[in-house]
Amino acid sequence: MAGATIWKGSIHFGETDVPVKLHSAVREERIQFHLIHKQDRVRLRQQMICALEKQPVPADEQSKGFEVEDGKYIIIDPEELERTAPEGSRMIEVHEFVKSDQLDPVLLDRVYYLEPDLTNVQGNGYNALAKALKEMDVEGICSWTMRKRSYLGALQAWGGMLRLNTLRYADEVVPAASLGLHNVVLSEKEMTIGSELIDKLTAPFEPRKFENEHEKKLRDMIEKKARGENIAILSPKRLQPTDPGQLLQALEASLKKAA
Amino acid sequence: MAVQGIWSGTISFSLVAIPVRLVTAVEPGRVSFHLLHSRDYSRLARRMFCPEEKAMVPPDEIIRGYEIMPDKYVLMTDEELESVSPDRSRTIEIIEFIDLGEVDPIYYDHPYYLIPSKGGEKAYQLLVEVMRRTNKAGLAKFVLAEREYLVAVTSRDGALTLITLHYSDEIVPDGDISPKKGTIEAEEEGRIRKSIELMTEDFNPGKYADKRRKKLMDLLATKVKEKAPVVSPAAVEEEGEGPADLVAALEESMRKVKESK
Repeated sequence: MAGATIWKGSIHFGETDVPVKLHSAVREERIQFHLIHKQDRVRLRQQMICALEKQPVPADEQSKGFEVEDGKYIIIDPEELERTAPEGSRMIEVHEFVKSDQLDPVLLDRVYYLEPDLTNVQGNGYNALAKALKEMDVEGICSWTMRKRSYLGALQAWGGMLRLNTLRYADEVVPAASLGLHNVVLSEKEMTIGSELIDKLTAPFEPRKFENEHEKKLRDMIEKKARGENIAILSPKRLQPTDPGQLLQALEASLKKAA
Repeated sequence: MAVQGIWSGTISFSLVAIPVRLVTAVEPGRVSFHLLHSRDYSRLARRMFCPEEKAMVPPDEIIRGYEIMPDKYVLMTDEELESVSPDRSRTIEIIEFIDLGEVDPIYYDHPYYLIPSKGGEKAYQLLVEVMRRTNKAGLAKFVLAEREYLVAVTSRDGALTLITLHYSDEIVPDGDISPKKGTIEAEEEGRIRKSIELMTEDFNPGKYADKRRKKLMDLLATKVKEKAPVVSPAAVEEEGEGPADLVAALEESMRKVKESK
């Protein structure tokens, strides 16, 4: 069952207004570890430490500054930034529509379900919008203000349902060019065999096939350790990297194996 | 500059194995603010602090613990954590490839880059090129610290990205809030379609980042007129911070703890 409504708003573009309620689409309940001080077994807390005094600084003595040049900051209240967005407008404003395949997965953040909010509206704009987005294979790039923060997102249809996928800003993504990768020349034969191999190993995306098998094993190990039993240390499996000179042979052998 | 890694190991598909390091692909603070001490304008750094000793704790004195009862922890060393699933703690084994277009975006969690380590450059580039041409992604499971991740490895701008995926049991069922079927008025649908057509553009995500940046710059411009920038004192480099990759890994896990709240 879906959780409580997080926020209510209205999708707006052109002459269209579709009131919706937001719900979380992902619920994580994973095992949680804490960071502990080895010496005294005390749980550590994250503190902001003053680089000069080397002492923790309480929240009321922290300011935010934007570095204008080396070591020079303009002190600013980041909430002031958000304030320029229309407060309490409850509007999810669609700026443009883009083809779904133009959205770089690296930009995709969290998904929220949109439930039609039918309290005081007649008609069926929700279903018409979901149908149009799906059939036209587009998503609406939109922004809204929720809990004093502005969000950028993609309005998308999946099944018959509308969803909001929050987007990261492009300048938050580390450019691949900064990774210092070097170009290596590949032969057309390596590429062809590589492509053939990948085609052979391709299957439909079925996420239900994959379970978190690790978590149960981890819980078992914690229980074992809590009972004072010894834990067998197993060395992790490490693969021998393929010799660059043997890449073609490795690809050919792989292809044979996959056939 | 050598890029710090959060993790190192090998990524493999069939009989090909590539040595790689993992680095984060997004830095939310890239165009943002730094925390400063309001009294001396010195930069603040996030550090782990022992409330008992009232002192900062260096990474080599930090261990992961699971709380079995209030304030009682079962401590787990990195070696013990790696022993839980030794097959997956240092290898990302691609089980199968999928068409990227088939992935429901609801599954995407956090993006990273993989960088080839010495000797892995050629096979790395082969995987980048072949996945780009075929628009495929490799699916794998791997273990980082205490968590096992289902991941999609894809090609982006000449690099391999690794995006952690949610497990299907983490996706909230939507049956009770899904819209009721109803007749769609042709007139309304036509109007919506027309608006969408008029508003369809090529996606340029940089546009929105620029807009946000401009807004920030405008605000800074008015601020700087009101008040001159403050000068932060130069601080002495800290010692004993431990190896860089360990610091990075700890910071990464702290970020995760923070995000999961």
